[in-house]
Amino acid sequence: MTINVKHSLVVAFPLIAALAFSIYIVQHQIAGYKGIEKKIEEFVTLPKGEYLKPAVFGYDQLVADIIWLRAIQVIGDKVVTPKGYEWVYHAMDVVTTLDPKFAYAYQFGGVTLSELGNRPDMSNMLLEKGLKENPEVWQIPFYLGFNNFFHLHNYEKAAKYMSIASELPGHPEYLPKLASRLYVQAGNPDIALEFLINMYKETDDEKVKESLEKRIKEVIIERDAIYLERGVAKYKEVYKDSPENLQDLVRMGIIKDIPPEPFGGYYYFDQSTNKVYSSVIRDRMHVYGK
Amino acid sequence: MKVLTIARNTFREAIRDRILYNLLFFALLMIAVSLLLATLTVGEQSKIIIDIGLASINIFGALIAIFLGIGLIIKEIEKRTIYNILSKPVPRYQFIIGKYLGLLITIMVNIIIMGAGLYLILIINELRWGHDIFNVNLDIWLDIWKAIYLIFIELMVVTAIALMFSTFSSSSTLSAIFTIAAYIIGHLTEELRLIGNKLPDSFMKSTINFFYYFLPNLDNFNVKGKVVHGIYVSASYISLVTLYGLLYISVVLLLSGVIFQRRDFK
Amino acid sequence: MNMEDIVIKIENLTKVFKKGFRGKSVAAIKGLNLEVNEGEIFGFLGPNGAGKTTTIKILMGLIYPTTGKAWILNKEATDVEVKNRIGFLPEQPYFYDYLTSREFLRFYGQLFGLEGDELRTRMNNLLTLVGLEDAADLQLHKFSKGMLQRIGIAQALINRPDLIVLDEPMSGLDPIGRKEIRDIILRLKEDGKTVFFSTHIIPDVEMICDRVGILMKGELVNVGRLDEIMDAKVKYVEIIARNVSKEMLAYMEAMGSSVYETWEHVSIKVEDENRVDGILQLIKEGKGRVVSVIPQRETLEEHFIKKIGGAS
Repeated sequence: MTINVKHSLVVAFPLIAALAFSIYIVQHQIAGYKGIEKKIEEFVTLPKGEYLKPAVFGYDQLVADIIWLRAIQVIGDKVVTPKGYEWVYHAMDVVTTLDPKFAYAYQFGGVTLSELGNRPDMSNMLLEKGLKENPEVWQIPFYLGFNNFFHLHNYEKAAKYMSIASELPGHPEYLPKLASRLYVQAGNPDIALEFLINMYKETDDEKVKESLEKRIKEVIIERDAIYLERGVAKYKEVYKDSPENLQDLVRMGIIKDIPPEPFGGYYYFDQSTNKVYSSVIRDRMHVYGK
Repeated sequence: MKVLTIARNTFREAIRDRILYNLLFFALLMIAVSLLLATLTVGEQSKIIIDIGLASINIFGALIAIFLGIGLIIKEIEKRTIYNILSKPVPRYQFIIGKYLGLLITIMVNIIIMGAGLYLILIINELRWGHDIFNVNLDIWLDIWKAIYLIFIELMVVTAIALMFSTFSSSSTLSAIFTIAAYIIGHLTEELRLIGNKLPDSFMKSTINFFYYFLPNLDNFNVKGKVVHGIYVSASYISLVTLYGLLYISVVLLLSGVIFQRRDFK
Repeated sequence: MNMEDIVIKIENLTKVFKKGFRGKSVAAIKGLNLEVNEGEIFGFLGPNGAGKTTTIKILMGLIYPTTGKAWILNKEATDVEVKNRIGFLPEQPYFYDYLTSREFLRFYGQLFGLEGDELRTRMNNLLTLVGLEDAADLQLHKFSKGMLQRIGIAQALINRPDLIVLDEPMSGLDPIGRKEIRDIILRLKEDGKTVFFSTHIIPDVEMICDRVGILMKGELVNVGRLDEIMDAKVKYVEIIARNVSKEMLAYMEAMGSSVYETWEHVSIKVEDENRVDGILQLIKEGKGRVVSVIPQRETLEEHFIKKIGGAS
């Protein structure tokens, strides 16, 4: 058979195209086998950072980046199981041991673990480690303050971290005011709201933003409920009787109007418990009173 | 037949090459040293030996594949031996396939030797601790061959890539850099997929997916961690990634053949 | 002339090489036309860098022509099948030096599909032909240059080719080595084979070639019988002799020959061919001994210089 240049091209190109297509199909199948959940499990096999460090021959940052990339992709992808968050913590711990100055890893890990994983304990461990290594990054104490305020309800500690954050370079303008107000009126939902809205601005992770948005709405409900309950109390004081519903308060001129319910529902007054509720979220949040 | 003649000659050249013995020596040394390292740990000695053993087989196998793989064609050109082969009734594509097969045989022999070395060290380790040699965790011991088999498939892909770079470059340094880069990127393509999945539909996403599907996905062949931790690797997974490897090799060899067919040998 | 009789046919062949990445183009050969007939020894003559090796590589399908075509035995040079009938020895042969002579010949034999007893007999015959029986199991990296050249010729003959192409087969060899190669080429011609070889050394061609082609700067400047091309006239005849008496030398000088004496020999240059017999007679009568009689023609170098001079 004569093989010359032209022939080889005529034969090769359709063949290459067909093979490339098969590769695509097979790789697609393999990707299916590998699955996302399995990938998170792979963090189990990751040795502790202290052991990994001598084994990467000085390429600490590079290995940290690779593990980091893998971890954030996995976390961003699917619903992670509670066990999964322990591995997320492990991965972030390894990343930050290899590259202790990787400030964003602490922030990301911190906010993911507390907001998405509901594990403020692990979030705080990671952030405390970050604060020690990066005392100049204001976001880390800011997040610590957030955790203490919303998850652990330790307002004193929250206020302390916020004042640390407000003294660091690059902090946003609102921070010193927020920190000082935390000291005096920690139970005020307005403070919580301000905190949350600023937190929302600081975050760029869509999942965390979603979670914060819900939380903001819940605090708005809480704030409105407190406001409405004060109206009820005033009504009782004036008329010596409980109002039938919230419209009575407006009609009697005690409040100007009933604020809109953030989820699109409505507020109502329950005479039996003497409390105001949202039609969407039945449970009231933790009370922010002292 | 001519393909086999060239393959046999390539194998003969490799086994008369000192580089091969140096690499093999260091690989066996590493496996043997794992026995010493294993004494430092408490329990799980065999895990450490298997970890180091499989890593050595993979690394030194890759070094053999890359350095001998690049030399396959470039050495023929540098030493001008290619003139005499291609002036014989041997189509150029057969020459390439013959060279490729010859190196594969070399790599296979080396991997079998290294694998045997790993088993030997494992047996020595068991005997040293006074364990009953017939009472070991046989599943893991047998699964080691799954890992070694997939390492071999990976090295087949790497060899084909090294060969391809050496068909159009006349610098072995440049080809070595290209191949090593391909090897490293090949182990990071999994990241590409994860990034691609996260992105919204866009030109970027399509580009990343394109690279994910058409760069060599060498991570497919990596089951070392699973084998050591006793995670089951199914036969269907092994056959699927074998098929992937063979398809990838076919494309790379075809491209090499097309490039090689068009080349002038000044 | 019958088509079958033309073994090599080159038509308007040009090869342009690009130097460097964006470098200028250099034409190694320009519009070459050449035919080589069956059964002849054809000398491809030219100084280094004239484009001989480029032409041969195109014939062997190692490089592709920019324009033009080449046929060997009525098939295109890129056709792999035609190589079954060609034996080729590259310039300064580089072979797998980790092989022994026997392994080396077996390898190339197998590439031609030879095997078993046939291959073994062929190998032994060739080792005898090139005088390497004693080095049959020696690795090639222990070979001298002459031995490499001889084993190179052996591999070129393993397939009993009809056409043998040799690129500078005699360069770098001592006079004995060159003679051995010349003898092998003549033997091949006796067997009815066509030999095409390149060289830049004129006596190689002079002694054995039926026809020559002279290549200069990528262009064929002359083809034909050597004595047709070059000044056929003998410029002078050089007689080298011993034991010639002083008186006789003086006489010869007086007759118009120039005489040089060395430690042992005398060299007598005779301009007039007709007087050579007389002088030889004189030497014999004086009990002198004639060592050699060499007619000196125009050398290729002189021819080249004349050509280049004429062109510029």
